[in-house]
Amino acid sequence: MSMNSWTAPRFEHPSEQELARFLDFFTVEWRYESVCFPLKWDEEGRVIRSITPDFYLPQFELFVEITTMKQRLVNKKNQKIRQLRELYPDIRIKVLYGRDYRKLLFKFGVLQ
Amino acid sequence: MSSSSEVLPDDFPDAINRVVFDQETISRRVGELADTISQDYSGKNTVVVGILQGAYAFTCDLINELDFPVSPEFIRISRYQKPFTGEVEIVEDVQQDITGQHVLLVEDIVDTGLTLNFLVQILLDRNPASLAVCALLDRSELRLVDIPIKYVGFQVNDEFLIGYGLDFRGSYRDLPFVATMNPQSVVPTNLSA
Repeated sequence: MSMNSWTAPRFEHPSEQELARFLDFFTVEWRYESVCFPLKWDEEGRVIRSITPDFYLPQFELFVEITTMKQRLVNKKNQKIRQLRELYPDIRIKVLYGRDYRKLLFKFGVLQ
Repeated sequence: MSSSSEVLPDDFPDAINRVVFDQETISRRVGELADTISQDYSGKNTVVVGILQGAYAFTCDLINELDFPVSPEFIRISRYQKPFTGEVEIVEDVQQDITGQHVLLVEDIVDTGLTLNFLVQILLDRNPASLAVCALLDRSELRLVDIPIKYVGFQVNDEFLIGYGLDFRGSYRDLPFVATMNPQSVVPTNLSA
């Protein structure tokens, strides 16, 4: 998918849209919130906790999660990422934290 | 990150906070890398390709230390800039035909790996005998693409660095050392939700 595509998604956060543009520039194929991983089930087998990583980069078989939120929410997100890694050890996921992500944008001149 | 010097010359701009790798440390490490590369590429037809603009100084210094003759080649890609649309492209290409030659691609700093990934694919399409990457600095915390880096000068953390090819808004590339930026010289931008 690309930002120029008619199917460009509605991003939940500007940082996600910026990463999509950035990936487009480097001609890296991406999919937005394309896979939901169940993390916890109730006694009847219904999923009660899950995580949907922001991006999947099929070329690199890598999921990317951007976390630019407040620390309290970051902790909750980190917990989910830990669970994801435990339950799906073959999944490769990269978490870009707010500070890292801002540095990346800063380096490429997006942040002035 | 190891710090080679905490002493900053008086006549340098306020934007420089701390010298991380001084001239002597860089020179010594470049010499070590050149020794290893000279052994590995002995007797091979080798093309050394520096990625502009950041790797210009590093590439030239590295080539000067190699114990076999090689002319530097350079490659430059378009910058990611406003309005932040379009795709990366090569704006300055290598002059030689690299088919069948051993290519050493030289970069100043590798973080996401996206620039390298793009260039490696481009150069591999030209059928070199081999292709390896040499980076002065490796910042793996931001890595998205796992490109093998055969020769690494220094591992660095997430501090914003300038000097020895690394710039801030086009400035400070010509500093003979690698330094961190003074945080007060950087206007913060809030991207948080």
